[in-house]
Parts: sequence; C-alpha cells; structure tokens
Amino acid sequence: MSEINEGWLEVSEEAGIEVEDIVRFDHDNKTYCIYRLEDGYYATDGLCTHETVHLEDGLVIDDEIECPMHQGIFKIKTGEAISPPACVDLKTYPVKVDNGKIFIKI
Amino acid sequence: MSLKKISIIGAGQAAAYAANEIRKHDKELGITIFNEENYLPYERPPLSKDSITNKKKYEELSFFSKEFYNSENIQFINKSVKKVDFTNKTLITNDAKLEPYDNLLITTGSKNKKLNFGVDQQDISDSILYLRNIEDSKRIKESINTHKTFAIIGGGFIGLEVASSIAQLGKKAYVIEMGQQLMGRVIPTQIAKLVSSYHEDKGNVILLETNIVSIELKNSVYKIELNNKSTLEVDFIIAGIGSKANTDLFENTSLNINNGIVTDEFCRTSEENVFAAGDVANFFHPFYNMQMRLESYQHAQNHGIAAAKNILGQNLPYMHIPWMWSDQFDLNLQLIGLCNDFDQEIQRGNNLEEGIIYFFIKQKKIMGACGIGKVGKVGRDIRLAGKILETKVDVDIDDIKNKEVKLSKLLKR
Ligand SMILES: Cc1cc2nc3c(=O)[nH]c(=O)nc-3n(C[C@H](O)[C@H](O)[C@H](O)COP(=O)(O)OP(=O)(O)OC[C@H]3O[C@@H](n4cnc5c(N)ncnc54)[C@H](O)[C@@H]3O)c2cc1C
Ligand code: FES
Repeated sequence: MSEINEGWLEVSEEAGIEVEDIVRFDHDNKTYCIYRLEDGYYATDGLCTHETVHLEDGLVIDDEIECPMHQGIFKIKTGEAISPPACVDLKTYPVKVDNGKIFIKI
Repeated sequence: MSLKKISIIGAGQAAAYAANEIRKHDKELGITIFNEENYLPYERPPLSKDSITNKKKYEELSFFSKEFYNSENIQFINKSVKKVDFTNKTLITNDAKLEPYDNLLITTGSKNKKLNFGVDQQDISDSILYLRNIEDSKRIKESINTHKTFAIIGGGFIGLEVASSIAQLGKKAYVIEMGQQLMGRVIPTQIAKLVSSYHEDKGNVILLETNIVSIELKNSVYKIELNNKSTLEVDFIIAGIGSKANTDLFENTSLNINNGIVTDEFCRTSEENVFAAGDVANFFHPFYNMQMRLESYQHAQNHGIAAAKNILGQNLPYMHIPWMWSDQFDLNLQLIGLCNDFDQEIQRGNNLEEGIIYFFIKQKKIMGACGIGKVGKVGRDIRLAGKILETKVDVDIDDIKNKEVKLSKLLKR
C-alpha cells in the first residue's frame, strides 16, 4: 500500500461499478456498503439498523438506500434514517478512489 | 378555509404519521388525538414476531417519543370515543364528555374477527387469545412461556407469524386452516407450499382443509375434534381468523360504510370535513380505478400522511402501490401490487437462499409480484417490480425470468 493510502483499506477495483451499484466490504467482523452515486462514492455500515439485514441487497434511489426487508430508508451521504421502521441512523465513512481502486477509511 | 383544529380518533400508525405531517406544514394548528390504548402510537408488526421471541422490547415500539409529541404540541386525550355526532360536529367520549371538532380524521384501524362456540362453551371461547395490541401480545408471550403445544386457528399471516415464534421458542404449533392453502388466495400456491414445508421442517404441523368439529377442555387440555375424524390435544389455543374495519362506532350514523369507511382518493369520507386513513378506510385507488382496503404497515403510514396533506388542502390523490411483508423464521415474504389479475405468471429465482419471486403479468405489463426468500433477498426486485408496474411499461418475459438481468434496467428503457 502506498504511503498516501495509509489508514485506508482497499475495497475493490473501480472498473465495472455502475451508478447506483452497491459493493459490500467485510473487515474485522464488520460489514460495510460502498455506493456509487452520480457524484462519487460513499460508504455506510453494511447492516440495517432495524434488523440484521445486509443493505447490499437494498435499492439505491438517488442518494437514498432502501432496506430490502421492510423498506426502511437512509440517506447515503449522512446515514440519516428517514423512513421507518428504520429509526436509528447508519454510520458513514470516507471513501476515495486512487489509481482505479476504491478505498474506505474505517 | 382557515383551519382551526384537527381531531383524530384512534392513536395508531396512521394517526401518528398524520399528526407528524400536519406539524411539518403548520406549527399552529391544534392537533388532538383520542387514544384508547395505554401507549403512545406504536408499530404492530413485532407483536407477533420479535416482541414474542424477545428480540424487541415492548418499550421500543413507539414511532415517536413523548418528548416529540410534547415539543410539537400534539395533544393526546386518553379516552375512547363512544359516539360521533356528524350534524353537530361533536365526539362523545367514554366518560360522556362532549368534544367538538372542526376537522376529523378517523384512524380506528381494524379489529379481529372472533370465534364463537356457543353459549354452553363460553369458557372455551373466552380462553382463546387473539392478537391486535401490546396487551394481547404480552398475554400470548406469557402463554407460550407456560405451555408446550398450541393450536393456531387460521393459517393467515398473523397466525403463521405466531406459529413461527412458537417454534423458535422450542414449542410446537398446530396450524388449523380451513382453506386449501395458507395465507389465502392472494399468495401464490407455490409460495404457500414453501411456507408450509418450512414450518413443518421447524417442528410445526400444518393442517389444511381442516375444520373444527368440537372442542372440549378437561384438566387444562383442549381436545379438538377435526373434520377428518382425528383429534388434536393441545395446551393452548390462539386464533387469527382475519379482521375487519373497526367501524362499530359509526353504525347508525350517516357515514358511508362498506367494508370500511368509504373514501375517495383524497381520504375524504361522505361527511364534510371528515377524513379516514389506514386499515379502517376503503379508499378509491386511481391507479387501479377501484376501491380497496389494506391492512399493512406502509399503507397505514403513507395513507396517514396523505390524509394530513389533504386536510391541509393540498389536494393530492393517494396512489401508492400496495406493498406488505410477513416475516416467519428467517424468511421474508413480500407482496406488491395485485396478484389476482394476470394472463402470465413468471417465476424468477429458484431457491430460498437467493429468493423466489412470481410476477403476475397482464398484456405484457406487471400487475403485481409476490416473493419469498431468506432475509433481504426478495426486497430489491419486489420494490423494482412496483416501480416498473407504476410506469406501465411493457416487459420482456425473458428479462423477468433471468436473474442475471437487473430489473432496474427495465426502468431505464
Ligand atoms: C400483530 C400484527 C402484526 C402485523 N404485522 C405486519 C407486518 O408484518 N407487515 C405489515 O405490512 N403489516 C403488519 N401489520 C399491519 C399493520 O400493523 C396495520 O396495518 C397498521 O397498524 C394499521 O394502522 P392504523 O393506524 O390504520 O390502525 P392501528 O395501528 O391498528 O391503530 C388504530 C387505533 O385506534 C384505536 N381505536 C379504535 N377505536 C377507537 C375509538 N373509538 N376511540 C379511540 N381509539 C380507538 C385502537 O385502539 C388503535 O390504537 C400487523 C398488524 C398486527 C395487529
Ligand atoms: S431490517 Fe431494514 S427496515 Fe427492517
């Protein structure tokens, strides 16, 4: 890992990831979701805060992620829970792209 | 028209979201909710599932906190409404007090149908538990803790969810269903069969096309004689045989009732300045061009919000596509749109691990879809089915069948 990438974890290659795609990233017994939106990449916790359900299976609409289980909705950029049954916010994490690779800082 | 005050009968989900929505637009308007339960508005889905299996505490079910209602100046009157006088615009509460209203929103939800085994078996009828509210759920939970085997009368969603909770707690449920399949005809037979075998694998017993001939209670054991001449012995009986709109209050009034309170697409009832939302409303759905009554979480919320907007004069027709879910064991079932009007039934996916969805298609357009799979596995495609259905685009059957094709692509054409 190059020096400027210190503290950042490599998620995947950028190639093939389309707008509204979700990439799941597991690290240290935790799971995260990286989203590609129109204006870049964002990351949140990977599990819904309502029940233990992977948001990787959810649906991205504009800059919101809808949980696949009960359609709880979160703002991807802030993690804010905006529609029940989800009522606890998601944590968000910095993401960057370097040399065609996606990195997350946890 | 300048609004002065809004009174809401029934403090459930539709009421809470209506009040919240009104406050988003108007900070001054008086909002009073008549609440006959001892709790602030709460979500009911966990009552048959996570609250029974100890995954969610009853205290965690409120939509909004007490502080929220206080700070938003949303007032609760902890009484039930016993009578409504539409001519004089007054409500009469259980303590015989008169409460005048300007605008009224009715969100009284639905109530359980009950079994009746006749006067000489009143004790048996009385001992059967039903599930609607927190108190019922607590009683059912206690009964599961203290008994081993259960008859669940009715193989609908709530009965099956309770049966699933019973099996998860290491006990056994016998589900007695008089129809040919579980969950009624709205659910595809194939999915009903999958659910049936899932329950049986987990130790429950599913009895279809089965009627109860007689019940006897001796030494704390129920002997249930069934129409196939077999007898079942259980320690406890819980029933979930369906529900109806909670409209008792309006019998002998001028309010138009027909399988619920009849409303238009703006949540307006037959009475001036009186609106209805949630389970209790039989509303006009412009997309389907028909009346419908739904009992589902998301509808209650969105319909409450729609009623609030229309009370405030925004004139926005309500046309959300119906959607509901049921969670049993680690399975999540979802239903979107209508699944009873189709010329083709197309299957997408072939195992529960990845999810199986049946699409109901008429003249190349998706009318509805119903799917089941391990948690989280059908939601995205069901949601997309709803979005595609709304756009009324023609779909290619091969795309629907092929799980490799992202359904979102069909939207972008
Ligand atoms: C056990 C259970 C499990 C469920 N699970 C699911 C699920 O998994 N998925 C799903 O989509 N949906 C589910 N639902 C359905 C969903 O919870 C309901 O559709 C929703 O609660 C309806 O909201 P509502 O506001 O119309 O009525 P409710 O939430 O039922 O509220 C109505 C309120 O009005 C009160 N009331 C009635 N009459 C009066 C009166 N005269 N005076 C004062 N108050 C009055 C009642 O006591 C009640 O508090 C479930 C329902 C139950 C009961
Ligand atoms: S698990 Fe995500 S909304 Fe319920």
